[in-house]
Formats: sequence, structure tokens, C-alpha cells
Amino acid sequence: MIIKPLFSNDPSLNLRLLLALIASTVLFFLDTRLNSFASVRSNLSAAVYPIQAAASLPRNAVDWFSDFFVGRQELKEKNAELEVTNLLNNQRLQKLEDLERENLRLRELLGSSFRLRDRVKVAEILTIDLDPFSQQVVINKGERDGVHVGQAVLDAQGVMGQVVRVSAFSSYVVLLTNPNHAIPVQVNRNGLRAIVTGKGLAESLGVDYLPHNADIRVGDLLVTSGLGGRFPSGYPVGIVESIAYPQGKAFSEVRVKSSAHLSTSREVLLVLNATNIDAEIAPSANKLGDEIDQ
Amino acid sequence: MKLINKTSQGGSIIVMSLLVAMILMLMPLPDSVRLVRPEWVVLVLIYWTMAAPQRVGVGYAWLVGLVMDLLMGGPLGVLAFSYALICYIVMLTHLQIRQYPIWQQAMSVFSLILLMQMIFLLLTPLSLDLSFGLPALSSTLLWPVTYAVLRSLRRTFHVS
Repeated sequence: MIIKPLFSNDPSLNLRLLLALIASTVLFFLDTRLNSFASVRSNLSAAVYPIQAAASLPRNAVDWFSDFFVGRQELKEKNAELEVTNLLNNQRLQKLEDLERENLRLRELLGSSFRLRDRVKVAEILTIDLDPFSQQVVINKGERDGVHVGQAVLDAQGVMGQVVRVSAFSSYVVLLTNPNHAIPVQVNRNGLRAIVTGKGLAESLGVDYLPHNADIRVGDLLVTSGLGGRFPSGYPVGIVESIAYPQGKAFSEVRVKSSAHLSTSREVLLVLNATNIDAEIAPSANKLGDEIDQ
Repeated sequence: MKLINKTSQGGSIIVMSLLVAMILMLMPLPDSVRLVRPEWVVLVLIYWTMAAPQRVGVGYAWLVGLVMDLLMGGPLGVLAFSYALICYIVMLTHLQIRQYPIWQQAMSVFSLILLMQMIFLLLTPLSLDLSFGLPALSSTLLWPVTYAVLRSLRRTFHVS
């Protein structure tokens, strides 16, 4: 039996709170103001990664079990369905090869360099929830796999966001829907340039600073413009959902639905920057397998 | 000899319960339920501060908060300070809180978590919206369950 002190609020309790306040303030400013603190933080994040991995285990186990007990019939149906899509995709790809060559020839004639394909790396989203308002996800590739801050992240349908913080085994990706995130785009139909910002809600984005007479319509596809140098150009960002012209305001309110399935995608693609690879397109580059680092 | 064994075991029980709470905080939930997720780690922390204040103190809570900051990907120090502050308030009043009936304890938990959310709101650049306060509400409702589970844990493993 340990004898407990009856009144434990000795004066050192206040002192401890004061120390906690000072330590927190120092850490807060180091973390938010000092760039060189990022490496310290990345090491600390690597230390707590096992907890994150453990939290994603139950969901992975459920996935594994449901994979294990899939019926033969279901697999056959799925296979048939995939073969049809593959056929359709291959047919489109043939067309694309042709167009790509043509485009390249024309660009050469114009004397401008242009990259049609970017090398990508496949990563998986850890099935854990961060703070619902932060609009971030954690992926299972980190510094050791060559991920760096600012790298663009895509899913099969479009742009998801960019890497904001890297630790040894994982990195944090801020999604397009984060209110602090903006991405330069252009309207695919006419090349009109604009900036898309997050609205903090799932899959909902907005276009800022477009005057009332700008040529933009409901259903327009917005793609990355490549301006700003962070996102590669030509990837779908979203589709215009609604346009309002509020009276007395200088800019129209354009709502955009993101192309990427921000809340359901599991696999993501990390785009390797032009600085990491040679920009020329090798003739053998038409095999898709060459372009994906597993 | 036996006493030392028991006390070290008590420490690992506290750590284990906190780890489980952290995993519960990170577990993926459907979008409709996410915003109502109770603050498991704070609940567990409040319990241990109240029941074993000589083990879980301000420094301990600060460290737990720091780990949560890292796990959640927010700015460092925000949760660390709010956890330390909550722990400080519980330490000051633990003798009273222990005597309260369970619903009154739950009300204290509600005000503590609301306080924490206000600190979070002040320090992070996000706007106030409707779901503010929902975690405090769900935590309050789940306090009796948490209390019962952790109390039986404490009694089984003689954590004091």
C-alpha cells in the first residue's frame, strides 16, 4: 500500500504548467516558423509511425478477409469486365500513341520542348483519419523512397494534392480541398487560366478571381496549367458544377467538383519532378510498365 | 520486491490504455461519424490523472499531447499544451471530482474538452462551423463507459 499525499497541489504544479506552456510555445514557433526544424519533426514522426500503422491494421485485415472469401463466380465476372475495359483502353491508347507522335513532331517544328508523360511512383494511403478539418492524408512512402516536399500526388482520375511533410517511412499529403491550398488551372475548352482553391468540404472546390464576363460554363473541365512549376500540366483537377454571379461583387462564384476521388481512393501516384528525370522521351517509353516504379 | 513489480506493471497498463485510445482516434470512420468522434485520449488521460495523480501529471500529459500532435500532423505544441492544461485543472480538483456522481463528472469532462477545442480553434487557421462541440458532446456521453472500463482495469491490475 502506497501512502498517497492528501493534497498534491504543491506549488511545483503551477511551475510545471508554466514549463509546459513555455515548451509548447517554443516548439510551436520552431515548427511553424523555422524551416530547418522540418528534419527534427520528420524524425519524430518516424518514431510514432508504428502507432499509425497499427491503427490502419484492422481495416487492412478486413480487406484481406473479404479478398480471401470472394467467390469464383464474382472473380470471373470481374475479370470479364476488366478485359472489356482493357480492350477499350488499348484501343484509345493506339490513338493516343499516334496523337502523341504527331504532337511531338509539331512541337519540334515550333521549337518548344514539352513532356507528354511523367514518371510516377505508386503509393498507398494509410487508412487512418487525421483531424477532419485538416484535409490531409498519410501515404506509406517517405524520404527513403525519394518522396520530397512539394511533390504532386494524383489518383487514377485526377490531381489529389501535394506532399507537405516527409518522414522516413511516410509522408503527409495536403488535399486540394484544404482551404489553404490553391492550384493554377486552365479551362480545357479555351485555355482560360484561373486558380482553384479548396473550400474545406469533401470534393468541393472553388475558382477565385474570375470576373463576371469570363468565358466559363457549367460542365467545363479544368486541368492543371503547369504555371507555378509545382504541378505538371495537363492533369484533370475538376469539373465546373455551378456558377453564380452575386450582385455587387467583383468576381463570380464558381463551384468545382474534384475529378480525383479524394475521400475514396486508396492507391495514389506520386509524380517525379522534371529535375529528377531526363526530360527526353525515349522511343521505348510506350510501354507503360517502364514508367511505373513499384 | 513485489511492490516494485506491481508499480511498474501499473505504468505499462496506463501506457497501453493510452495507445489503444490513440489507435481509436486514428481509426478510419465513415464521413458521417467522423465529426462526432469522441476525444478518447483526453478521456483516458482525465481518468488516470483523477485516479492516479501521482503517476500521470502535467509533464506526462504534455508528452502524450506531443505524440498526438505528431500523429495528427498538426502544428507541434498545440495539443501538448491543451493536454497539459487539462491535466493541471484535473490535478487541482481531483479530490472533488472523485466524489462527484458520474453525471457531474461527465459535465466536468464536457467543459474540459470544450476548453481544449477552443484552444485548438485559436491556434489553427480554420473557421468555426456547426460540428464544433460535437466531440465534446460524444465524449461526455461516453464518459460513464470509459470510467467503468478503466476502473475495472485499475482494480484488476492494482494501479495506484
